[in-house]
Amino acid sequence: MRDVIVVGAGGGGPVVAKELAARGLDVLLLEGGPHHTDPRASWTHYENDANNPLTGFLRFGPADRRKPAWLREEPQNSFILQVAGVGGTTQHYYGNSPRAYRGAFAGYEGPDRDAYDTAHAFPFPYAELVPYYEWVEATLPVQTAAMGTKETVFFRGAEKLGIPVQTTKDTLRASYRPQENAILQPGGTAGRTTDPARLVYPRATGCTYCGFCLQGCMEPVRAPRNQFAKRSTDNSYVPMALTASAWARGGRDVTLVPDAFVVRVHTRRRGGHTEAAGVTWRVGATGERHREEARVVVLAGGATETPRLWLNSDLPNPNGWVGRGYTDHFLDGVTGLFDEDTGSSKGPSSAARCDFPGRGALEQLGLGPANQAFVMALSGSGIRGRYGNGRGMTGPWDGRAGRVLGPELKEALLHGVNRLVNILVLTDDDVERDNRVLLSAFPADEHGAAPKVALDGRARSRRTNANREFLARRAAELLRKAGARRVYRFDWAPLLLHVHSSMRMGLSERDSVLTSDAESRWVRRLYVADNSALANALGGPNPTLTTQALATRTAERIFTRHFGGRPWVRAEAPVPSTDPRISAAL
Amino acid sequence: MNDSPSRVSPASDPATVSDPAAPGPVPLDRRALLGAAGLLAAVPLLPAPPAAAAPDPAADARAVRRALDAVTADTMGGLAVFVAPGPDPYSRAQGTPRREPGAIEAKVPAFLVDALDRFLPFPDQIAVPLIRALAQGAGTLRLPGAAGGDAPGAAVGRVDAGLRRLLDNDATIPLSGVVALLLNVQAVRVHPASVAGPFTAPFARLPYARKARVFHLLEGPDPALVGTLDRRLPEPLRGSVSGLLRFLAGTLLEVTALGAYSEWAVFDPATRRLTGRPVGWQVSGYTPSIDGWDEYRGYYQGRRKVTG
Repeated sequence: MRDVIVVGAGGGGPVVAKELAARGLDVLLLEGGPHHTDPRASWTHYENDANNPLTGFLRFGPADRRKPAWLREEPQNSFILQVAGVGGTTQHYYGNSPRAYRGAFAGYEGPDRDAYDTAHAFPFPYAELVPYYEWVEATLPVQTAAMGTKETVFFRGAEKLGIPVQTTKDTLRASYRPQENAILQPGGTAGRTTDPARLVYPRATGCTYCGFCLQGCMEPVRAPRNQFAKRSTDNSYVPMALTASAWARGGRDVTLVPDAFVVRVHTRRRGGHTEAAGVTWRVGATGERHREEARVVVLAGGATETPRLWLNSDLPNPNGWVGRGYTDHFLDGVTGLFDEDTGSSKGPSSAARCDFPGRGALEQLGLGPANQAFVMALSGSGIRGRYGNGRGMTGPWDGRAGRVLGPELKEALLHGVNRLVNILVLTDDDVERDNRVLLSAFPADEHGAAPKVALDGRARSRRTNANREFLARRAAELLRKAGARRVYRFDWAPLLLHVHSSMRMGLSERDSVLTSDAESRWVRRLYVADNSALANALGGPNPTLTTQALATRTAERIFTRHFGGRPWVRAEAPVPSTDPRISAAL
Repeated sequence: MNDSPSRVSPASDPATVSDPAAPGPVPLDRRALLGAAGLLAAVPLLPAPPAAAAPDPAADARAVRRALDAVTADTMGGLAVFVAPGPDPYSRAQGTPRREPGAIEAKVPAFLVDALDRFLPFPDQIAVPLIRALAQGAGTLRLPGAAGGDAPGAAVGRVDAGLRRLLDNDATIPLSGVVALLLNVQAVRVHPASVAGPFTAPFARLPYARKARVFHLLEGPDPALVGTLDRRLPEPLRGSVSGLLRFLAGTLLEVTALGAYSEWAVFDPATRRLTGRPVGWQVSGYTPSIDGWDEYRGYYQGRRKVTG
């Protein structure tokens, strides 16, 4: 019997695994997708090869790329962008690591208190999470981003919005700033040359400004895995978990099994209670099934798969909230065309942002041409100039919101992919009961009934819609003030990239699945450590850092409650994931 | 879900299916459906039976399948240039020719067929009932009279029987064929004149604005189409059509955009290298620097670190 089984090696699972391995526990980390142990041997920087959601090496599908992607039912115009494999969706994330807004937590008494989804606040105060933020920020590590050309353009506009620059990790008011990114900042020749011969580790360290965050980070060339610039968990927490005995006194290396898709959580009755007993997983390559027992089970398959696994395991759901309350920041895109070089496809893909507590956030977004075309073709407002699906909003952008297609898309791209600036709108969206994951009536796949993600972009709460409109207008204003000569707004159909709160922790037993310790309310020794555990959409900031801070707190709770240990976050200094002992042990 | 690399396998040869009833007179709505689907193009492909012998139903079904493949390719051509027009006949037909290369040069029709038939996790158990429902419910869609109205009734009957035979075999119609049928039926509904013209597919004959109207109806969604399909889907799928159509419409446009401006057409999976400069790069002026750019512009206001 294992001490702990962690289901899913994405943004949150490896955090729990690493923390508990450092305490000497026997941890099994299971991942449904592949483990890219040598990215240079299997990855490229090409957009379709990497990002095609059906065929790319960063897709939600099996390791064998000859097989179809895994099934999800989406009963509306929407697009789920999740990545399977060790590192999960952090493999293609941009490393943006802002803290949540304080108003998303219980006990917040600021003058803008009523601007947040207070009915679904975190069940503890913001200050409770700060030590865990600090621990994760030092571990990854999180650093203030340097600028490229696109950031200088973004800041030119942001400076004219009438909001101050933010110089703290905590967001206190509407403001703009360089991103706090989980990216090692450029050192040596990095960012200063295009000569491949000079961009080799250790002459170059950290971010080389290659522009391929979305294609997975493997820079600089010849760097040890834990020195790759972007701190996706496959480059940070997973290497730490696998080498815990090398850098933690009494640490025990985690057992990582990729290509192992968990299909059932087992429970047992003890002392009048139901508690987690273990899991069964399916081996992708062979179809074999394995079962292991554990004292504690931690679910971390993501906001779509964790409720699916719960429901397929016939676990209790007495208040019906398993899978409900799915939030997605109701993302939107606004793009400006400039008559100058912006370097949009170069450098870290997002290194500047604006925060609007109570509304959400804006961040700059760099893309190559294929993904640029993809995001311009995504809309809930039909096709610009042709039809609008009853939407097609007007505002400080040119024309109506909608897809840019055909000749207009061609003209926009002919203008030059490096003469664009994209802004991503991250809406503070409400937890809503009917936005949910349930089991699809489609034929089951090899992992059981498929998840159905019901989240209609045409039916969101009044506050969610108002926040999104406010932010889209601010984005367009920023681009105009920065000098854009044409501005498009797309009104994206739900792009399910930042997804959270579908197994939410909460104050009330009536509308939450987890206690404030991230333990299931109805099955003891069963915890959740991915974005689904978040109580809400954080007010709009990117979720990964908060999920990782919460997962650290959850690991501490597991260790003290079930293994007789002491908490460590307030008592010790974290080891950074770049530690040379990890490099040597790898 | 089909776990194999291809929905179209030798095992699904129509010859392995039991013989359907012999073709009788073809009702007008069936003839209209065959015309809208572009499948009357199968008439000249039908093998001539030996003198005094009856036609071979399996051979007729194979002819219909070949026609469907041709219609599918033309439909995907029409879709590809709707998203990324270029200097090709499909772009000229939709009224938006361009000098610079577009989706046809980027081989998007093949990209779409590959994506739909091999990789989109869309269960055959959904796709096949959908296309059956469309074929059975054609009468309620009031499709305009078919071109090829002069085709001999016996030949049309053989094509109709061939299509029925294909539909009786769950694995015979690939998803790209389902999508093509859907787009073409909608094409003749929004623009009846598209039933005749160049190409084999009505959708590829539409002007740009009419193609947009097809997608408007799919996203709307179109109550007549939804009703036709929903009534004929088995439980528990009944009631799911409007969501499916919205998802499908969005995905077709987005994936086409991704493919048109990506490296797919010139990427060699064996070497993981490009054999030419991708259309998307030519159009957008994109040239990657494989390991890094000299883009570092310092820290905003010189600040390398913030406080808590």
